[in-house]
Amino acid sequence: MQLIAFYILSTVVLLSAFLVIAARNPVHSVLWLISAFFASSGLLVLIGAEFLAMLLVVVYVGAVAVLFLFVVMMLDVDFVELKQGFLNYLPAGALIALALLAEIGVVAAATAAREASGFDPSPGADTNAEALSRVLYTDNLMLFQLAGLILLVAMMGAIVLTLRKRPGVRRQNISEQTNRRREDAVQLKDVRPGQGI
Amino acid sequence: MDLTIGHYVAFSAALFTIGVFGIFVNRKNIIVILMAIELILLSVNINLVAFSVFSGDIAGQVFAMLVLTVAAAEAAVGLAILVVYFRNRGEIAVEGVNVLRG
Amino acid sequence: MTLISDLQIAAPEILLSGFALVALLVGAFAGDGSSRFLRAFSTVVLALASLLAFRQVALPPEAAFGGLYQTSEFTSFAKGVVYAIGAGALFMSGGAVRRDGMERYEFPLLMIFASFGAGVMLSAGDLMSLYMGVECLSLSSYVLAAFLRDDLRSSEAGLKYFVLGALASGLLLYGASLVYGFAGSTRFDQIADAPYSIGLVFGLVLMICGLAFKASAAPFHIWTPDVYEGGPSPVVAFFATAPKIAAVVVFANVLFSAFGVMEDQWALIVAVLAAASMLIGAFGALNQNNIKRLLAYSSIGNVGFALIGVAAGETFGTSSILVYMTIYVVATLGLFGGVLAMRRDGKNVELISDLNGLSRMKPALAIALTALVFSVAGIPPLAGFFGKLMVFRAGLQADLLWLVIVGVISSVVSLGYYLRIIWAIWGKEPAAALDPVDFGVGVTVVASTVITFPVLVIWIGGLINATSFAAAG
Repeated sequence: MQLIAFYILSTVVLLSAFLVIAARNPVHSVLWLISAFFASSGLLVLIGAEFLAMLLVVVYVGAVAVLFLFVVMMLDVDFVELKQGFLNYLPAGALIALALLAEIGVVAAATAAREASGFDPSPGADTNAEALSRVLYTDNLMLFQLAGLILLVAMMGAIVLTLRKRPGVRRQNISEQTNRRREDAVQLKDVRPGQGI
Repeated sequence: MDLTIGHYVAFSAALFTIGVFGIFVNRKNIIVILMAIELILLSVNINLVAFSVFSGDIAGQVFAMLVLTVAAAEAAVGLAILVVYFRNRGEIAVEGVNVLRG
Repeated sequence: MTLISDLQIAAPEILLSGFALVALLVGAFAGDGSSRFLRAFSTVVLALASLLAFRQVALPPEAAFGGLYQTSEFTSFAKGVVYAIGAGALFMSGGAVRRDGMERYEFPLLMIFASFGAGVMLSAGDLMSLYMGVECLSLSSYVLAAFLRDDLRSSEAGLKYFVLGALASGLLLYGASLVYGFAGSTRFDQIADAPYSIGLVFGLVLMICGLAFKASAAPFHIWTPDVYEGGPSPVVAFFATAPKIAAVVVFANVLFSAFGVMEDQWALIVAVLAAASMLIGAFGALNQNNIKRLLAYSSIGNVGFALIGVAAGETFGTSSILVYMTIYVVATLGLFGGVLAMRRDGKNVELISDLNGLSRMKPALAIALTALVFSVAGIPPLAGFFGKLMVFRAGLQADLLWLVIVGVISSVVSLGYYLRIIWAIWGKEPAAALDPVDFGVGVTVVASTVITFPVLVIWIGGLINATSFAAAG
C-alpha cells in the first residue's frame, strides 16, 4: 500500500515539476508548482515526517507560491488574456485541485495502513514535532537564530529594493493625532451679528 | 517490497534533474527559472528528510527546516530584484538580459 | 558548555550581529539621515570584529554551540582579514555612496550582514552552519549588487547574480544532502570519519561546484564580469575582496577538515579548476576595455592561483592560501579605490582609456596604482611576487608540476593586460582632468599601497610564520 502511494505521489510530483518548467503561461507554472509541493508533502507524511510536511504546505503553498503568483500577476499580465479571464485557468485549476484532493485520500489511506517498517521519523520522542522541538531550541540554537537573521536580511533587502516613498501621500501620524489639544483645533471667535468674521 | 531510502533518493534525484534542466532549457522567463530553483530546493528537502527518517537521526529534518526558511527568504529577495529589474526595463525575458555582455 | 562561554567564543559574530540589530532600529527610527553616522560606526565595529577574530587566532581552537561553530587558526586568520577588508571597503565607500544616491542606512548594514555571513561560514564546523553562512552572505550580496535600484545595469547585475547564485546554492545544498545521507552526520569531524562510498564522492563533487561558484573559479565564473561591471563600484570593491578570500578559505577548510581523507578524489578536480581559472583569467582579460571587467577576470585568475594552494593539500597549502589571498585582497582593495577615484565631471568613468596620462594629472595616485598593479601581477620586489612564490612552492611540494607550469604561463600572459594599464597611466597623453579624490578613497589607496610595499615585503617572513600553524600543529 505504501509503495503504491509512493509511486502515485512521486509520479504526480515529477509530472507537475515537468509542467512547471514546460508550461507556457507562468500562472500555470505556479499552479503546477503548488501541486508539486502538495504531493511532496504527501511523500513526507508517508514516512512519518509530519511536521515538515505541514511546514512544506504552509510555507511553500501558503507563502512562497502566493508570492510568486502575486509577482506573476503584477509583472507579466497580458491584458488581452486577462479579459478572456477566469475560464482559461479553470480547467488547469480544477485539475490541480482534484489532484490535490485525490492525494490527500491516497496519503490518508496509506498512513492508515502503515506497518512498522525500518524507519524512525521521531527518534527519542513520541511525535515528530516533539523530536524536532527537542533539538531545535537547544542543540541548534545558533542555527535557529541565524535563520532569523537571514529572514531579517531578506526583509531588509526586499524593502530597500522595492519600497518607494511617493510625494504627496498623506499618512496617518499617530503621535500628532493624540497630541492634538482643543486649543490647536478650535478657535473661538466673537462674532457680532450682521458682520461675519 | 517495502518502501526504502532508495526510492526517495532516486525520486529526489529525478526532481533535482528536472529543476536543473528547467534552468537551462527555460530561457523564456526568469520567473520560471526562479520556480525551477524552488524545485531544486524541494528535492534537497525530500532528500534530507528521507535520509533523516531512514537513519533515525533528527539533524536532517532540522536541516530541511532551515532550507525551507532560507528558500522563502531567497524567493522574497529574488522576486524583489525581479520587480526592480522589471521596473527599469519593462520585460523579464532572459534574452533581454544583455545590457551586460557575457 | 554554557551559553555564555559559547557567546564568548563566537565574540566577533555576536558583536557584528548585535550591532547590526541595534543599528537597524536606529536607522528605522532616524531615517536615512542617520546613514552617514551608521556607516562610520559600522566601519569601527567591523574593525573591532577584525581584532576579535585575530585574537581567536592566538587562542587554541575551540568549538561552540555543540560543534556548529568551530574556530581554527586557519579560518580565524582569514576572518580577521575579511572583517578588516570589509571595514576598509566601507570606509572608502563614503563619497561614492553619497554621490550615486545610495545614501541609505541599509547600505552599511547589508555590508555588515554580508561580512557576518562570511564569518559564520568560515567558522562553520557543520554543513548546516556552513549553509546558513553562505546564504547570509549571498542574500546580502544580491541586494547590494542591485542596490542602485533605478539603474538598469545594477538591477541586471543583481538579477544575474541572484539566478546563478541560487543555482549554485542548490548544487551546494544537494551535495550537502547527499553527504549527510551517506556519512550519516552533518558535522565536519564526523564526515571525516565516515567510510568511503560513491554517494559521498558524488555529494563532494556537487559541493565543490557550489563552492567554486561562490569563489568564482572557472568554469563557474560567468557571473563575475557582469556583476562587477554592473554593480555599484563601492559594492564591487567589497565583492572582489572580503567574500573572495572568505570563499577560497571556506573551500579549502571544507575540503581539508571534512574530506581530508578523500584528498585523492578532490585534488585533481581542484587542480583542474585552478588551471581553468588561471587560463580564463589571463586570456579573458586581454581584450577588455572596461577596468571593472578587467579586474573581474583578474580576480578569476587570482582565485585560480590560490586554488593551487588548495590542490596542494592541507600539509603544504594552508599557509600559501592565506598569504596569497591576503596580499591579493589588500592590493585589490587599493585598485578598486583607484576605480572609485575615476570620476570625470561628476560621473563615474571606467574605461582603461580614462586612465590615460594619470601620471601627469595625479602623480601620487598613479604611483600607487602602478605599485598595486605590479603587485597583483606578481612582479618581484612587491608583495604579490612572494604570494605567487608561496603557492608555486606549495604546488611543487605536492608534485603538481604541470599546474605550476600553467600558472607561470598564465602569469606571463596576464602581464600583457596589466602592462596595458601601466602604459595608459604613464605612456599616453592626458585626457580631460579627473575629479578630486575623496578623502576616504585616498587614505585607503595609500594604506593598501603601503601595506603591499614595503610593509608586507619586509614582514613577509612574519606573515608566513603567522600563517604556518597547520605545519606546526
